[in-house]
This record gives sequence, C-alpha cells and structure tokens, in this order.
Amino acid sequence: MSDRRLAWALLAPALAVLGGLTVYPALWVVWLSLQYRVPVFGISRWAGLEHYAFLIVDSRFWNAVSVTFAFTAASVALECAIGLAIAVGLRGQHRGRRTALALLLLAWALPSVVTAKMFEWLYHPAGGLVNFLLGGRPINWLGDPALALPALIVADVWRATPFVALLCYARLLTIPPDLYEAAEVDGAAGLQAFARITWPLVRPILLVALLFRTLDALRAFDIMFVLTGGGPAGTTESLTVYAYRALFQTLQIGFGSAIGVVVFALVMAVAIVYLWVIDRAERAA
Amino acid sequence: MARRPARPRLGFGLGWLTSGLLLLALLGGCGERVAPDAPVTLVFKHAKILGPADPVPGLLRRFEALHPGVRVRSEALTWSSDEQHQFYVINLEGGSPPFDVMMLDVIWVPEFARAGWILDLTPFVPPAERDAHFASAIEPAMQDGRLWALPWFMNVGLLYYRRDLLAKYGLAPPDTYAALVDQVRRIRAGEGDPRLDGYLWQGKQYEGGMVNVLEAFWANGTRLLDDGGRPFPEPDRARESLAFLRGLIESGVSPGWVTAADEELTRRPFGDGRAIFLRSWPYALDLFELPDSPVRGKVGVAALPRLPHGSVGAASTGGAHLAVSARTRHRTLAVDLVRFLTSETAQRAMTEGAALRPSRPALYHDATLVARDPSLVALLGLMEKGHPRPITPYYLMLSTTLQPEFSAVLVGRKSPAQAIRDATAQVDHLQRVIGR
Repeated sequence: MSDRRLAWALLAPALAVLGGLTVYPALWVVWLSLQYRVPVFGISRWAGLEHYAFLIVDSRFWNAVSVTFAFTAASVALECAIGLAIAVGLRGQHRGRRTALALLLLAWALPSVVTAKMFEWLYHPAGGLVNFLLGGRPINWLGDPALALPALIVADVWRATPFVALLCYARLLTIPPDLYEAAEVDGAAGLQAFARITWPLVRPILLVALLFRTLDALRAFDIMFVLTGGGPAGTTESLTVYAYRALFQTLQIGFGSAIGVVVFALVMAVAIVYLWVIDRAERAA
Repeated sequence: MARRPARPRLGFGLGWLTSGLLLLALLGGCGERVAPDAPVTLVFKHAKILGPADPVPGLLRRFEALHPGVRVRSEALTWSSDEQHQFYVINLEGGSPPFDVMMLDVIWVPEFARAGWILDLTPFVPPAERDAHFASAIEPAMQDGRLWALPWFMNVGLLYYRRDLLAKYGLAPPDTYAALVDQVRRIRAGEGDPRLDGYLWQGKQYEGGMVNVLEAFWANGTRLLDDGGRPFPEPDRARESLAFLRGLIESGVSPGWVTAADEELTRRPFGDGRAIFLRSWPYALDLFELPDSPVRGKVGVAALPRLPHGSVGAASTGGAHLAVSARTRHRTLAVDLVRFLTSETAQRAMTEGAALRPSRPALYHDATLVARDPSLVALLGLMEKGHPRPITPYYLMLSTTLQPEFSAVLVGRKSPAQAIRDATAQVDHLQRVIGR
C-alpha cells in the first residue's frame, strides 16, 4: 500500500508536468473550439458546436482532409518500402557502409524547412535539376494541380526514408548471421530467406516506424507551407496548414481550434489503432 | 512500521523539489530584468535589413546619443512575413509584449490598430511630418481617421523590361497589356530562342499572388471591395482580369510555372537573361545591376500596363511601417524613436546603406542619393501612383480566404466566373463571422 503511495508520489511531478503542458492546453483548445473568438474584432462569444457544423459543409475542410490522407498514405507507404529496401541493402553492403549511413543521416538531419527550400530549387521548372535530368522539359511540378501533391510526397519521402531505413537496419544487425547460414544450408536463399527470416523479425520494428511516420505525416506542415503554401488551388492544403491559416493568419481562434481538435482526434484514433495492432503482433510473437 | 510513512513523504518532497528547481531554472533563464536604477531600455523589434551595410545599429546609437540614459536594444525578427505576423499576434494578444517599437508589414497596420495592439500616433505626429511621406504610404496607416504607424521604407510593383531587346525591335515600354503581349510575340519570333520567356509574374498561392491579381483588377478599372466593403463591385471586369491572367499562361506569353512562382523564382530567370518582362519590386533592380549580372545595364523599369477598361495601370504598394506597442511603459520615448527612424536623416541612411526605397518624396530629389542610385528618378512617379491593397482590419483574412480561389483560376481548375461566385460566398461568410 505504502509502496503504491510512494510510486504515486514519485510519479506526481511527471504527471503534473504532463498535465500542465499537455492535458491542460489540449482541454483549453477544446474549450476554445466551442466559441467564436476573433480578438482583432473583440469577438468572444459562445458558439457551441457551430464550428464543427460549419466544418461538415466546408469544402475547404474536406479538401484538406483528402489531401492529408492522400499525402499520409502515399508518403508513409513509400518511406516504409524504400526504407526497408535500403536497410536490407545496407546489411549486404560491406564496403562504404559508414559513408552510406552518414549520407542517410544527412537527409534526416536537415530541418524540414531547409529540405523544402532545397526542393523548391530542384523543382524549378526552368532551371531545376529535376527537369534537367528529365531532358529539359519544362514540367511545372509545383504549379500544376495534378503534380504538386506527388512532388511534395517525393520531397517528404526523400527526407523521412532514412528514419525508417535506420530503424530497420538497427533491427537487422541484431539478427544472428547463423540464421541465414542455416537457411542457406537448408536451401532457402534470396527471397525465401527474406520472407522466412528477415520479414518476420523486422516486422515489429517496421510497425513502430510506420506508427511514427503516420503520426508525423498526418501533422505534416513545413513541406506544404514552404513549397506551395497549400496551392495551387488548394490542392496541397493539409489540415494543419488550414488550421495554421485560420489560427495565425486570419486569427479566428475558435474556428482554428476546431480544426486543431479534429487533427488531434484523428491522430489519436490512428495511434490507438496502431498500438492495438502492435500489441496484438507482440502477443502473437 | 515506524519507518514506512516517512518514505513516501521524502519521495514526494524530493519530486516536487526537483520539478520546482527545474521550473525556477527555466524562469531564471527567461527573465532578463533591468535593474531599477539602470537606464531606460527600449526594445525595437524588426526584420534584419539586408543589403550592402545595415544602417540600423548606427541609427540607434545616434538616437541614444540624443537621449542620454536611454538604451535601444534591437531584436531581429525572422525573415518570413508569415512568421513575423505569428510572432506579433502571440505576443500582443497574450499580455505584455516584450518590445516597445515594432516593424509592421503595411497590410497589418489596420488589423493591429483595430485590435488595440498599437498606439494611436495622431497626437504625436504633426500634420506636416505626416504629409512629408507619400500619400500612398500614409493612407494604409490610417484607420478611423487616426494615424497608427509611420512608413519606414516603401515598395511598389514595377514592370521590368529588357531595354536592349525592346530597342532592337524599335519598341517602347508597353502601356497596355495588349501591347505587352504583342511585343512578347514579336521579340520571341525575332529571337527564335525557345528558352526566352515572355512575361514573368507571381502566381503562387500566397500574398504575392494576391498582389498580382489585385493589380490586374486595378488595371481593368475595378476593385476587390467597394467603399462599403462589398466584394466584386464590377464582377464583369474582375472576370476579365482573371481571364486575362489565365490567358497569359494559355497563350504561352507567360510560362506555365508562374502558377507556382514567387518573387525570387521569377527574379532569377529574368536576371539570367531568359525573359523579356518581369513584374517585381524595386529590390530586384540592385541585383540586376551587380557587376557579374548577365543583364547589367540592359534592364529598364516602367509602370505596370493597363487592361481595356482601366485608365492607368496600378501597382501595389508594399513596405514596412513602424508602430508603438499600446502597452509600452515608455510611450514618449518609443514614439520619439519611431519619429527618429522615419525621419529624413534616418531614411537617407537607410537608402544609402541598405538600398531600400524611402517613403519621403523629398529624398527622391536629393542630388547625392540620385547620383548613387539613378533609378530613384523613375521610381518617384511610380511610388506616388502606387495603390494600397484594401485597407481593412480583415485584409489578411480576406487574402487567405481568396488565394485558393484565384489560384484555381490561374491553374485552370475553375472558370473566372465560378471563382468569383465562390469567392463572394466566402467573403459573405467571413463578414458574417466578424459581424460586418
């Protein structure tokens, strides 16, 4: 009993800090989302669920939802697939492995705003490297509504793949080489060894990487904000960019908070589903 | 049994003590308190001034020399305008802002005035001092008949053209867009260079894109808001303006990528000699005249052209104003600093050192300054005729709401008529929210 009290007492500061820094602001945002708050115009009155009702019919909001989901699904899938491939490749690599690792880290270490600025020039239709490599055709990457989102996804994949690759690579290092040798003796090599040994062992860590990347991608902001500002025609406006515009540019604190609450709920829901899947996978293992 | 109760209390106390100490350390790190007997310190928040030499520190030392016992600390803002706005909003709405004097983008002044974040400067600034600035710079700093900020430096939209190419084909800078389109066709046909673009401008979904669309409205003799604040008073003309911009892209007079272009993305190709016309701000002029610039000595500037229903082309103004925080504890001194930094002396130093353009017409006649920068002569008339963006506290709301609509026209996703219908509905909603 007393040990329990001690445990709580020792936890108390951490809980207080968490409560003060996370729970309290989160509840405050929910509270704000139930009001009309536009400080510039001195507007501060109760709105109830009106902001949420407006979101249901707001085409800009639904556009942002679909942009967010498309961006997340495509970028996370590519990051995990390419990241895993790189990790497997790295494992088989004997010379230059350190250099490869350092180069990988470089992309991940760059602040995403810097990455975005870099891609702005890579994608430049007249003088950018991408079009130059494609034979000098003036492809309008960031200004064409059909190409802008894919272009952003590629930039995000470039930046975040190393994270997945390094996580998977770390896991691969812990697989004893004997396993592969034994498999080879038994006549299982190449794809079969991957399917029977690598995949089952790397899967749990890949799930964790998937969780982190999904949560990050759902909240993606910098890349859109710097590269396209949400354009053209709003085709790359994610939920967070929309929330930012409502909150900090148009100062509709209540309405912006409502979008924030939706993003929060979304991220929580996805996190819970993932944790449940990971938990089940661990139990099964 | 006797020992046990003591343990939790110890743990409890230790935990709280640690977090308390941590908090104290955090607070201690933030608080840079001026001792009561120290001289008065004014904090001046502004974006870093780029250019050959930053004149701000020198000016602040001069101000300190004029006001013994006063220290001015200059704090840099981030360069991006969006982040500056965010910084101000958080600090000004939150309580007592940690600065006395601030640099504002001209389009924020009415908003900050309406919010009560900045001091009414009307009682401090004599009419003669106010009128020494361009009317087009003072107008956007006025709200409800009061003056809320003084202009620090100024910008205006310009049409850059390749003087050498126009001369080669015996052409004068175009005063209508029809002429511009015609000149682009003739020069490109004559040059036969597929890498030479016609007319570059900013069509990205951002404030700069908004500026380009507004200029197209004004060029066609219409506005975004009428005097009563209603959107699109002449929808036909607004439609024509939007259709014209889209037409530039469809006809190839402007490359398709202008729909994602900002100032720098358009400035570079023009600076490399790969375009005939460019719409941009005065800052580009200095870069085109750098010793290693491929277009050095080949660039001219003119007023933006007009469309069929307009009588004159109209360029948007821009630039920075200085304002005083409404919560400053050193009202008189802070106002003095603003008046000093916007004075003729200070603006001369800014023009010499930082290659910024002053908001005082007198300086455009100043022989020394003109000798250093002959473009001032041409800029004078353009600054005078500059057109402010809608002067309203909800301009930023308006712009952010409409940018995707206009962008949709530029990329061919919506017809101009559809975009104007949708934009009207959005503005109506906004006006309902803020109770206008």
